Amino acid sequence: MKEQEPIVFVIDDDRMIRDGLQSLIRSVGLQVETFASAQDFLEAKRPDTPACLVLDVRMPGPSGLDLQLKLRDDGIPVPIIFITGHGDIPMSVRAMKEGAHEFLTKPVRGQDLLDAVQKALASDRTLRQQRKEASEIRGRFDSLTPREKEVLDLVVAGLLNKQIADQLGMSELTVKTHRAHVMEKTQAESLAHLVRMSEKLKNASRK
Amino acid sequence: MGRRIDEPSRVRAVARYALAIILVTLALLISLALQHSFGNPFWFFFSVAVILSTWFGRTGPGWLSVVCSTLAVMYYFTPPVGSFAVTPSDLPYFVTFVSCEVGVAQLISWRRHTEDALRQARNELEVRVAERTVELKKANQALLKQMDEQRCTEETLQATRAELARAARITAIGELTASIAHEVNQPLAAVVANADACVAWLAREHPDLAEARAAAERATQGATRASDVIARIRSLITKAAPEKSRVQINRVMEQIAALAEGQAARNNVAIELELSPDSPIVLGDSIQLQQVILNLVMNGIDAMTSVTDQPRILTLRSESQDSRYIRVVVQDSGIGLTEEVKGRLFEPFFTTRSKGMGMGLSISRSIIEAHGGRLWAESNGSGGATFQLTLPSEDKMAA
Repeated sequence: MKEQEPIVFVIDDDRMIRDGLQSLIRSVGLQVETFASAQDFLEAKRPDTPACLVLDVRMPGPSGLDLQLKLRDDGIPVPIIFITGHGDIPMSVRAMKEGAHEFLTKPVRGQDLLDAVQKALASDRTLRQQRKEASEIRGRFDSLTPREKEVLDLVVAGLLNKQIADQLGMSELTVKTHRAHVMEKTQAESLAHLVRMSEKLKNASRK
Repeated sequence: MGRRIDEPSRVRAVARYALAIILVTLALLISLALQHSFGNPFWFFFSVAVILSTWFGRTGPGWLSVVCSTLAVMYYFTPPVGSFAVTPSDLPYFVTFVSCEVGVAQLISWRRHTEDALRQARNELEVRVAERTVELKKANQALLKQMDEQRCTEETLQATRAELARAARITAIGELTASIAHEVNQPLAAVVANADACVAWLAREHPDLAEARAAAERATQGATRASDVIARIRSLITKAAPEKSRVQINRVMEQIAALAEGQAARNNVAIELELSPDSPIVLGDSIQLQQVILNLVMNGIDAMTSVTDQPRILTLRSESQDSRYIRVVVQDSGIGLTEEVKGRLFEPFFTTRSKGMGMGLSISRSIIEAHGGRLWAESNGSGGATFQLTLPSEDKMAA
C-alpha cells in the first residue's frame, strides 16, 4: 500500500507567524494547512494521512493545551509541537505529560522546527502503521468464537494442550481442534507469531 | 501577735511613769536642799517636774506627778512637817499650789495632744504623698512604655506599608514588562520564521525567488510591527513634552531644602544652600524639576548615613554658566561612587539599596533631557559624590 502525502497543520492566531511557518515548512516540500484558531481546526475536514500539529499555546478561544486535551479525549492521536512565547516550566511540564511531542519557544529557529516536524511525522507514520496492523489483527481475532478465545488466552499464556483441557473441562482432542481453528482464523504462521499478534493487540488497546 | 506589739509599748509606759516619779523625786531633793538658803521654792521645782512629766510622759504620768508633788509638799513642806495633815491657815496656799499644778498639767497635756495629732497627721500625709508618688511614677513608666510600643508599632506599620507599596509597584512593572515582552516577541517570532523561510527557499536546489521574496517581505512587515509596538510604548511612557513655565531655580531649591530639612536633621546632615545671586530662570515644569532635585538630595542624605568620621554636609548650589546654561550641583560627603556604580548609576532598576527600585536617577535623567539639559555624576576628590545638572536658561530658550 502506497504511503499517502504527509501534512503539517499550523495553528496560530498571528497571521504573520502563520504565514512564515507555512512558508518555512513548504520550502522543504511538505504539505501545510493553516488555521487561525483551535476551533477552525476541529471544524475542518482532515485527510487521513500522517500528520503533525504545530500549535501556539496562547491563543484567543481554546488554548493550545485545551486543544491537546480535546484531541486526546476524541481519540485523535496526532503528534503536537507546541510553540510558546513565554515557556514557563509548569506549562511545558503539563504539555509534555499529556504527550506533547516537542515544546519550542518563540522565536523558533527554523531548523529546530523543521527537525521537530520531521521527527513528529516519522513518529506518526510508525504509529499509524502500528494502529493499522492492530486493527487488522483485531478484525481477525474478532472472528473467533468465545470458546476459541478462551483457548487462545491459555495458549498465549504458555499452557500445554493437556493443561488447557483440564482447565476448560474438555478433551485434549477438542482443544487441538479449537487451536487449529485459532491458528487458521488469525493467519498465525507459528505459535510465536500468534503470541506477538496478541501482544500488539494488547498494546494497542492499552494506548 | 497583739502581745508582741504590746510588749515594747508597755515597757515605754512603765518608763514614762518612772520618769514622772524620778522628776518629782528630783524636785523634792532640790527643794529640800535649797529650803534653808532660799525659803520655800518648792512650788517652782514641782511645777517644772509636772511640766516635764506631762510633756514627755503624756497625761497619765502628768497626773501621777501632780499627785506625788501634792503628797510630797503635804509631807515635807506644809506644817506640820512629817505628816500628811495641812493646818487650816496653810490651806489657801496649799489649794492654790495644787490648782496651779493641775492647771499646768491640763494645759501641757492639751498642748501635747495637739502636737501629737499634728505630727500624726503630718506623718500620714507624708506616707500618702509617698504612696501617691510611687503610683504616679509607675503610671508614668507604663505610659512611657506604651508610647514606646506605639512608636515601634507605627514604625513597623510604616515599613510594612512602604514594602507593600514597593511590591505592588514591582508587580505592576512585572506585569507591564511581561505584556510588553509578549507584544514585542510576537512580531519578532514572525520575523525569524519568515527570514528562515526566505533562506530555506533560496537554499533549494532550484531557488524559488517568488517565495523567498514573499517571505522576506513578511519579515520586513514583522520588524515594522515590532518597532511600532516600541514606539507606542515610548509614547505611553514619555506622554507629552513637559509643561513649560518660567521657573526660578533658586526658589525651587529653597523649597527643596525646606522639604528635606526633616530627613536631614534625623540623619544628622547639614544642608548648605549656595544660591546664585542673579536668581536665574529656566523654562520648565517646576514639579518635575523639583522631583529631580529632591531625588538627588535624598540620595545624598542616604549616601551619608554610614559616614561617621567626617561631618555630614550636603551642599546645594546653583550657578549661571555663561548666561546660556544654569547649573545645579548637589554635593554630598558620603561614601562616594565606585567606578562600577558610576557606570551603571543611570540604568533603570539599578540600585545599591535594599529598598529602592532603582528608577529614580533613570527617570531624573530623562526628565532633565526632556528639558534640553544634562544630568551626570562625579566622585569628589575628598570622598562623596557630586551630581550636576544643567538646564538651558530662559534667554537661551528664547533665542
